[in-house]
Amino acid sequence: MDEKLNQDFPIDWDEDHYVSRREFFKFMTFASGGLALGSVGLAVWSKMPRDHRKMDEKEIGEVAQLAAGGSLAFNYPRDHDLCILVQPEPGVYKAFSRRCTHLSCPVVWEPGKNRLYCPCHNGAFSPVNGAVLQGPPPRALPEIMLEVREGRIFAVGIKRGEA
Amino acid sequence: MKVSPAGHRRRQRSGIFAALLLFNLVLVLLQLWLFVGVLESLLDGKTTMAIPAAILSLVILGVNVWMLDGVVRLTRDV
Repeated sequence: MDEKLNQDFPIDWDEDHYVSRREFFKFMTFASGGLALGSVGLAVWSKMPRDHRKMDEKEIGEVAQLAAGGSLAFNYPRDHDLCILVQPEPGVYKAFSRRCTHLSCPVVWEPGKNRLYCPCHNGAFSPVNGAVLQGPPPRALPEIMLEVREGRIFAVGIKRGEA
Repeated sequence: MKVSPAGHRRRQRSGIFAALLLFNLVLVLLQLWLFVGVLESLLDGKTTMAIPAAILSLVILGVNVWMLDGVVRLTRDV
């Protein structure tokens, strides 16, 4: 172990291994190849169908639980995925991921200003479609698809793409 | 001080090598910027830039491979 450590991090300057410029050039070209491959992968991904993603449905709560202008936190699709259900207008239910698209701080519902607000860096999102209203977030909040049946609200999937 | 022709050639090669290396670094940074930009736009649902960016990235890779080949030949007999 010590021998290996001494080999990798020698005390004497002369025993250190240096990367030659040619080796560095090769490494950078490999990195370039990796990035090109990644870009091609993204191009292929962009051509794949971007339908809304249906998932297992999960009951969020009852309609009666949520007052007009109110909000309800829930987890969907996994237990650690934070989401928020809001009722911006009476009878209109919208749900979004709570993770701000900037640095993943949880957003909060501000009924007075009719927006989802990220207190970390003053980001704000529309409750209509999750679009960015202000601040540094680079994209809209992912929207959770909802179904209301017999007075109960269910999360049934996640909207993708420009929907 | 007079520099011998061999020394002059070595200096020239070294200069060319450094220039190519710098250009290579700039191109890889450009690729990285393209990759991150396309990833961001895809996550935002915008797909129009993905294919042009992939083509440009492949072109840059071609240039880098061509330069690497040049560098290998340049330094073969040094």
